[in-house]
Amino acid sequence: MYAYIVRRLLYALLTFLGITVATFALIHSVPGDPITFYTGISGSNLSTPVLEAIRRENHLDEPLVQQYFRWLGDAATLDFGRSIIDRRPVRERMLQKVPNTLLLNLIAFGLAAAIGIPIGVWSARRPGRLLDRGSAVIFFLLYSLPAFWVALLLMQFFSVRLGLLPLYGMTADDHAQLGAIGRLADRAKYLVLPVLTLAYAQLAIFARFSRAAVSDVIRQDFITAARARGAGEGKVLWQHAGRNALLPMITLLGLTVPYLVSGSVIVEEIFQWDGIGLLYFESIRTRDYPTAMGLTVLTAVATLFASVAADVLYSFADPRVRLEGRRR
Amino acid sequence: MNRWIALPAIVFLLLGGGCRQREQPSTSTAVLAQDDSQPRAGGTLYRRLQSDVSSLNPILTLSRYDRMVVQYLFTPLIQFDENLKPIEGLASAWDISPDGRRYTFHLNPRATFSDGQPVRASDVVFTLGKIVDPSAEAVQIASGFEQIDMTQTKAIDDKTVVVSFREALASQFTQFNNLLVLPEHVYAKGDFRKDFNDTAVGSGPYKLVRRVPSSEIVMQVRDDYWGTTPYIAAVVFKVILSDATAWNAVKRGDIDETSVPSDVWMREQNDTSLKKKLDFLRYYGLAYNYIAWNSRKPLLADKRMRRALAMCLDIRSIIGGLYGGSARAINGHFTPDQWAYNQGVPIIEYDIDGAKKALTSLGWFDRDGDGILDRNGKPLRFEFIIMSGSAQAQSVAQLYQASLKQAGVAIDIAVLDFTSAFQRILAGNYDASYLSWDLEPDPDPYPLFHSSQTPPRGQNFVFYASKDADRLIEQGRRELDPSKRTVIYQELHALLADDQPYAWVTQPSEKWVVNRRVKGVKMAKGLGLFLWHPAETGWWLSNAPR
Repeated sequence: MYAYIVRRLLYALLTFLGITVATFALIHSVPGDPITFYTGISGSNLSTPVLEAIRRENHLDEPLVQQYFRWLGDAATLDFGRSIIDRRPVRERMLQKVPNTLLLNLIAFGLAAAIGIPIGVWSARRPGRLLDRGSAVIFFLLYSLPAFWVALLLMQFFSVRLGLLPLYGMTADDHAQLGAIGRLADRAKYLVLPVLTLAYAQLAIFARFSRAAVSDVIRQDFITAARARGAGEGKVLWQHAGRNALLPMITLLGLTVPYLVSGSVIVEEIFQWDGIGLLYFESIRTRDYPTAMGLTVLTAVATLFASVAADVLYSFADPRVRLEGRRR
Repeated sequence: MNRWIALPAIVFLLLGGGCRQREQPSTSTAVLAQDDSQPRAGGTLYRRLQSDVSSLNPILTLSRYDRMVVQYLFTPLIQFDENLKPIEGLASAWDISPDGRRYTFHLNPRATFSDGQPVRASDVVFTLGKIVDPSAEAVQIASGFEQIDMTQTKAIDDKTVVVSFREALASQFTQFNNLLVLPEHVYAKGDFRKDFNDTAVGSGPYKLVRRVPSSEIVMQVRDDYWGTTPYIAAVVFKVILSDATAWNAVKRGDIDETSVPSDVWMREQNDTSLKKKLDFLRYYGLAYNYIAWNSRKPLLADKRMRRALAMCLDIRSIIGGLYGGSARAINGHFTPDQWAYNQGVPIIEYDIDGAKKALTSLGWFDRDGDGILDRNGKPLRFEFIIMSGSAQAQSVAQLYQASLKQAGVAIDIAVLDFTSAFQRILAGNYDASYLSWDLEPDPDPYPLFHSSQTPPRGQNFVFYASKDADRLIEQGRRELDPSKRTVIYQELHALLADDQPYAWVTQPSEKWVVNRRVKGVKMAKGLGLFLWHPAETGWWLSNAPR
């Protein structure tokens, strides 16, 4: 068991190095660098000695391979350098934004799962019925709606027309002066629209995934046997089928976790939510290499962690995975 | 400019008269209007920041948004009034030596920083030293002081400073508007690039309360301010990246002002209920859109070719169709609000037949009958770069493509992201590109058109090289007599228009909405709402709710 986990971790480390090499090569192969960005936004002349100083300071004048190993050495000590654009340490910028994105996405995905999974399971039990067909149509319809359009509609209705919810931002101006409950309510108010915008499209994924997982299981003999033994429908569904349907759900979890930290550019921009998605977008646009690399590490680690965690969970949920591991 | 404020007001009266008959004329608004004519101190102004500042350190500023914020916290050595004339700032008087190389500034004796310390001549010298120190990374501002002679720049006494240059440049003086003086006793300590991004101690009318990166910047008027204290008690900048969100926010009254995309402004400006609440303002800044022709490409090296291509540009349709009439055509590099502008130069008219004739005379015929002109077996076809993310640029490019096709010219539109596009343009690896300039108040076009200023030295990325233009540019930047300088630049303006290193497309007006509770809003020629004096520091807020 432990050998299996250790081996998985070693693979993950190799994959991680591969990802950093690929990203580093990719981002440096995109035309232009931060100096180009500076020059492009300026209508007047730029000071050449200053540009040269910035180039030297950020080691942009060194060969790429040397730049990569320098970056890797620093990254090993969790030092991701300093943003070329706003001069802040990359780690500080990331740590400031990760909790915001995480909070928003956890709630959005949690909500989507809480609604989507039960509906999926019930659909599996009665395929072809109204709930199954109806939910499928509605969820796919929702899935196909563009997020920015939905966000603007929600804004127009709830904020501009009704004036019920705040338009943008994460907390009210007087947030710090509120009591504990007031602060919680304030936070909640600001979360409603971004959460809805993020969650509606995920409903389809959770519902269809769980429906497929359960309907695979529900047709098998042991379910018929359980029913024959006189087990109640609820017990059959949740206990017998549910457990066995766990495996594909673990896969879904593995796929979802990376999204929790990577953030959504559209939602974060429209609602001025100070998260990772926007930072990533900006860092690529301005060729802010240190920031972009730092964020790549963050999402890579999250993805790898999720896939390792999913594998380990598999091995708990399904002995065959473990045994296969031992045989090799 | 007044015409544009008056016009919406007339439209409003007309519409209001028609639709709102049932409402009784309210006496309370009349009273309010009376109150509003008198400036009132107090209140909090909520402004929109389209993109967070890169720093609050005024010499590290990069964009216009950065400058709009630090403008409240720091005072430049000199400022511009609403006619773009230099007026006193931190310096209450100045002398320029006859050879134009030495500037003596007399600081306002009452000037203090927000920590109570007086502004000293040594602070000016300190700030200049930081600006020209490459390791301070003052990318933008440093280029204006490249000719400074630091050995001859010194404080004469506590309130008098001499700034010397190796070369006398006529444009030099306006650069002192970018010299936002730092207190040495604060900024000399610590890491200059890192430690002053979220804090500020300046001599401006406001002091910083807090900055929350990517969210807001809050400042409060100084009760110990040494100049004329502004009316508004507090200013809050809210970072709102999305134009759609900002538009909703200004409608709701969350913010008091925002720039508005052209199409939204044109569509909403006649909405009577909105007009009750919001002032729709527009002005021409020192900016224009143009097509850069890479004259190093053999195809575009001939000015007759560039002129023929410019004749295919349907500027009237662009102005009418894309901007709803809210843009204007310009005939050359200087804008009509600048004294260097030459009124006598004609605008190239849209004339497909004329373009065809011109191209024929250059030897371009459609020999193979494919609808595209050719010469020596090569079709008249080139790439046209536009920046991603601009629907306006996309429409202009498509319109141009259609007109060019009628003349037998094919262009391939390439949409590139900003940095990729500039990478290719600065490397000279492009044919043509649709771009825009935001110009400085001083018209010196040296970095853009002098033959020595090709990248990486300057921004002459059209590789324009003309002995006559070089001579005029050099004369113009050295001529200290304003009337002689005007003559030189007007001649240069005509020469550039004739050579067509660019095809000048339009000067679109900048569009803003301002909540009607904000009073005293004025616009300056070329600068519009902001960055002159008093501009935004002359506003006040009425009692009316947002």
